[in-house]
Amino acid sequence: MASTVAARAPATIHTSFLLLLVILLSCDLFDRIIASSGEAREEEFTEELLLKPLPDKKILAHFHFQSTVPPSDSIGHHHHLFPKAIAQLVKKFHIRELELSFTQGRWNYESWGGSDPMSNINAKPPGVEMWAVFDLPVNDIDESWKGLTHALSGIFCSSLNFLESSTAYSAPHWGLRTNSSSMRYGALPREAVCTENLTPWLKLLPCRDKAGLASLLDRPSIYKGYYHSQRLQLFSSAASGIILDQTLTVVLQPNVQRNGMPNSYDRFLQPNWSIMSMFKKKVTGQCALARASSIFIELEDGLATELEKLGAGESWNNLAFDLSVAPDRVIKEHNSVEGKSSSILYEFKVVKYSKYEPLDVGIKWKLPLLWSCPEAPFHARRFLMGSGNERGSIAISLQPTQSCDQFLSDSHKCTVRAVIFQVAPWYVKVYYHTLQIFIDGRSVPVADVVEKISVSPSEDKVSPGSLQMMLRFPCDMNSAALAMDFDKGFLHIDEYPPDANQGFDIPSAVVSFPDFYSSRSYLEDNCLKQSPLLLKLQKRTALQSYTEVLLVPLTTPDFSMPYNVITFTCTVLALYFGSLLNALRRRIGEEEQLLKSKDSKRVGLIPRLLSKLKGRTLESHQSSSGSSASSKPRPKWLFKVIFVALIAVLWHYYSNID
Amino acid sequence: MAEQETAADPILAPSSSSSPLSVRTTKPGTKRLLVTLSILLSGLVFLPIFYKSTEIYRSPLPFSSISSLSSHLHSLRPPIPTLLHVLFIRSHPIDSTDSQRISDLIILDLQSRTKSQVSVSISAHSGEGLESLDLSDDEAMDAFLLGMVDASVYTVVVVERAVKGNAKVVVGKHRHAWVVGLVEESEVARVISGVFWKYFVNGGREDGEMVGGEEGDALPVGSDGSLVLSFSLLNADPSDGVYDWDIQKTDRVLAPILESLAPIANITVESQVLYHAPKSSISNWDDRLHSYALSTSALPFFVNSNEWHLDTSIAAPGRSKVLQFVVYIPSATEWPLVLQFPNGETSQTNSFVSPMWGGVVVWNPPESSRNVQKPHFGKHIISTEDLQKIFQVFVGQLRVLFGLRSNNLDDAEIGVTKFLATPKGFTAWELDVLHRRHTYLNLLSCASTLDSLSKLVKSLPRMIIMDEIGKQVKLSVEVASLAQNYASHGVYNASAVSSRNARALAEDAFYHPSIMSISYSSFEHTIAIYMPFFVPVSLQVLIAAKKELTRYKRERAKYLASSA
Repeated sequence: MASTVAARAPATIHTSFLLLLVILLSCDLFDRIIASSGEAREEEFTEELLLKPLPDKKILAHFHFQSTVPPSDSIGHHHHLFPKAIAQLVKKFHIRELELSFTQGRWNYESWGGSDPMSNINAKPPGVEMWAVFDLPVNDIDESWKGLTHALSGIFCSSLNFLESSTAYSAPHWGLRTNSSSMRYGALPREAVCTENLTPWLKLLPCRDKAGLASLLDRPSIYKGYYHSQRLQLFSSAASGIILDQTLTVVLQPNVQRNGMPNSYDRFLQPNWSIMSMFKKKVTGQCALARASSIFIELEDGLATELEKLGAGESWNNLAFDLSVAPDRVIKEHNSVEGKSSSILYEFKVVKYSKYEPLDVGIKWKLPLLWSCPEAPFHARRFLMGSGNERGSIAISLQPTQSCDQFLSDSHKCTVRAVIFQVAPWYVKVYYHTLQIFIDGRSVPVADVVEKISVSPSEDKVSPGSLQMMLRFPCDMNSAALAMDFDKGFLHIDEYPPDANQGFDIPSAVVSFPDFYSSRSYLEDNCLKQSPLLLKLQKRTALQSYTEVLLVPLTTPDFSMPYNVITFTCTVLALYFGSLLNALRRRIGEEEQLLKSKDSKRVGLIPRLLSKLKGRTLESHQSSSGSSASSKPRPKWLFKVIFVALIAVLWHYYSNID
Repeated sequence: MAEQETAADPILAPSSSSSPLSVRTTKPGTKRLLVTLSILLSGLVFLPIFYKSTEIYRSPLPFSSISSLSSHLHSLRPPIPTLLHVLFIRSHPIDSTDSQRISDLIILDLQSRTKSQVSVSISAHSGEGLESLDLSDDEAMDAFLLGMVDASVYTVVVVERAVKGNAKVVVGKHRHAWVVGLVEESEVARVISGVFWKYFVNGGREDGEMVGGEEGDALPVGSDGSLVLSFSLLNADPSDGVYDWDIQKTDRVLAPILESLAPIANITVESQVLYHAPKSSISNWDDRLHSYALSTSALPFFVNSNEWHLDTSIAAPGRSKVLQFVVYIPSATEWPLVLQFPNGETSQTNSFVSPMWGGVVVWNPPESSRNVQKPHFGKHIISTEDLQKIFQVFVGQLRVLFGLRSNNLDDAEIGVTKFLATPKGFTAWELDVLHRRHTYLNLLSCASTLDSLSKLVKSLPRMIIMDEIGKQVKLSVEVASLAQNYASHGVYNASAVSSRNARALAEDAFYHPSIMSISYSSFEHTIAIYMPFFVPVSLQVLIAAKKELTRYKRERAKYLASSA
């Protein structure tokens, strides 16, 4: 074409260039029109689902719902699609950013991946994690945080209000991915997550679980999984309005569907699954309010490499697997690294399907495939050392994985950075000066490794201790570990939870690697911009992983102790008082004489009681003989007992009347 | 002395060993008796001091003023206006006997309805400027009269002009009504007293209806004096088509209403659109009406609290009241949906009110937006005219929720031919009625809250009462009396505002977080702590005192016997 143009007159070249320019301009203009109309447009909602087979024969299902509201004066008052409650929350508490996650189970970084955007963004620590950035002067933030936790605990039926107390949250400045001085971070590792948290979360979607992709959320199926994380993310700014991302990530074990006789070959085969087999439902059309609704099946790079080795290509039915429905589009990752295959996305548009023609996409494997997930460069683990109820130490170990080499081009003479953020409640009194760092088992001076550190020590019953630390390691190390000693504090008797003997949780530490990034890059396509999920995946984010939650047993008191102490000391005091009084008053000589004289006639109280008891037993034994002497005082005794009982009854009656 | 006594005892010993009732020659010593008695006495003296020391801090509450306030309020009747002015517009002046006779007639008529004294003043005016006015133009007449009469006093103007047909009686937008026509004196008196009593005093409700302060009568305002009007558009099934509205366009309708209700409540407005929100009652196809009819007896089941996530507002403070106004759009399978009375007629507005909850309007999308192939699929916006109509219904519902009639048309019984409506939604005399009632009910609720607080405080002697609660209670009592003052002087909007504050303060005191805390110790707790010490010690002291006393008596008797 170019050559034919060149053969013609230069004027035509000029016009064709002009034409091209006009086309380009019009494209640009068109884009701008779309963008501007998008701005002027109403609130929007999109729903997406990403399914991904995992190397350990499990399936990752990631639901992503996005609601947006353009900036306007009526935010918090009048809403059409966007949940009113959330908009009012943003407005009332001046939230700039918020992330709240409810997670059950622990993300398996080894086999489910740690460095791809999906696991990097969506892996969350067990329990509840919440952070928020406020658009407020520093002095007002704590007040706003307290109100926010209460409001959210009301919305999500959870005990988020426990984050209200200043002992439960901290204010990190640079230890997390989002850095701001007006940020607050809190975690409740022991919060149980169940349907009562999911229902209010679904209530924020315009179609709830009545239609669209959310209707797949069959409660028994999704809570049966290995990992369940429900998340809410908010971005609010004057320029873009409010963006609300709601995601639900579940890892499920599909039921094995096998045809015919099982054989040894089948053991290596990935399980066949479909939406129906996982969620017991089919997709019966999109939510009528959704601007876009699609399902993606992702085959990650490891799997794609295996497929390429087999020569299967990227078609949807090849010699390795069959997709049950033809995809509407195949999106291939644009990968610059040579010698590595890139992940493949199969997209299915839900809008084409309806109640009468439901979508039940699934995958059927024909060949056994083994691959591994992209791991994070380091495995971060945290554990407790020491024994007893007095002191112990926390250790964090970082172990480079094999994928570490892939990230580092030159493994010699280079260094990697790691940022550790850890919060410990005040009753775990960490001595930060005891920080010891070991590289390859040898202790190294702290100053050699720590590049930046900020510590806010805990204050008893006021604030937790938090540690933010940037470390720089040599790339060729085999292991790194750091340890800190702590003392276990004592709580006030009122501060113990009902199940104090279970122990106390230290929330997960966050370990991030600012030198490593995760992102997918797809070839620029206008349609990709329409998908918030793909936009999320394309975003360049620093790698981050969470460590385990630690369980610290504390000394628990005997909770009846105060009363025991009171009774004991009072008895001692009364004894002392009594003996002093007797020493002052009694005449020993006279009493002894009196006793001697009485001895012949009267017996003491205890002998009398004893004799009475004996007499009674004797009487019962000798009922035939009938001793008249011991039966005489019985009516008197009976009368006394009845009298005391009567007094007790009356006392009870009158004290209850008031 | 002690030595003496102990020294004396061995001397007695030989004799006493044989018999305890032996003779005693020396006077019995009182030292040990005094020691034990002094310990007993000091214990008795110490006991009240100790008891005082275990007391916890309780801010003093004005119990007497609370009880006097509540007894005063419970005996109080709702305040009613006591001044009525009658203005005759006639060519000749009115003489004193005539005016006396008319006022006597009015007072006589009023006395049959109420015990309170109403003073009636009568004057006449020649009515300059009225000639140029068209008497059939009520709006102009209303404006003209506003400039002529004292706006703060209820006035009935009698224009003595001959008109065609019957006399015309119009109740205006402000505090006046007028009668045009030549009517007999007794008839005029009857109409005047009727208008005054039924409308200016009772706001159009039947006699005695508003008197008394039952719970059902309370205005739908939160105890902290705020009210949220939450408008929701419910799409029963969005797969048939999505309806949306431009709610901002209704601001013009709502703003004046909110302004006029400002003394009664802090009102905020919010709206949302909900989808997949079917009603929970079932309608039947009615061939005669060509629509799906829902009997009014099924209305209690209309509101589907499982699927209608109307929610309380987060933006609103804690104890505010939310009134829900719902536009329900039926699904395509139930189009059109009408509400049917038991007698077979259909509701004109296709709406209903649920007291203290809000109102529901069923809106059927117009036929044009329905498509045979795909029944009104796609997104539609409710047209401005339809929205205007819906909000007019909502305004009527708001009036009903506030205890007024949704709209006054005419009243044949009293002879009122017309009521002037105002774009503000509430006329001045209606607002007066609301203010009076709001004041009265607020004061009653404030008094009962304070009453229960004082009862609670009295019943729990070990409850901590913070200073703040004491302050709030005092302030509440003061503001309540201020409100009473305003009401008795006829400044109704100010009394509404201060009675609202009094109630809010009383509620704040009652729901103060420190009262809610459970940390105050019970009586059993006190016993458990102090008994281990006090029971053994007091037993020792009492036994010792008893023993010493009996011994002293015995020894003294012996001594007296031997010395006699």
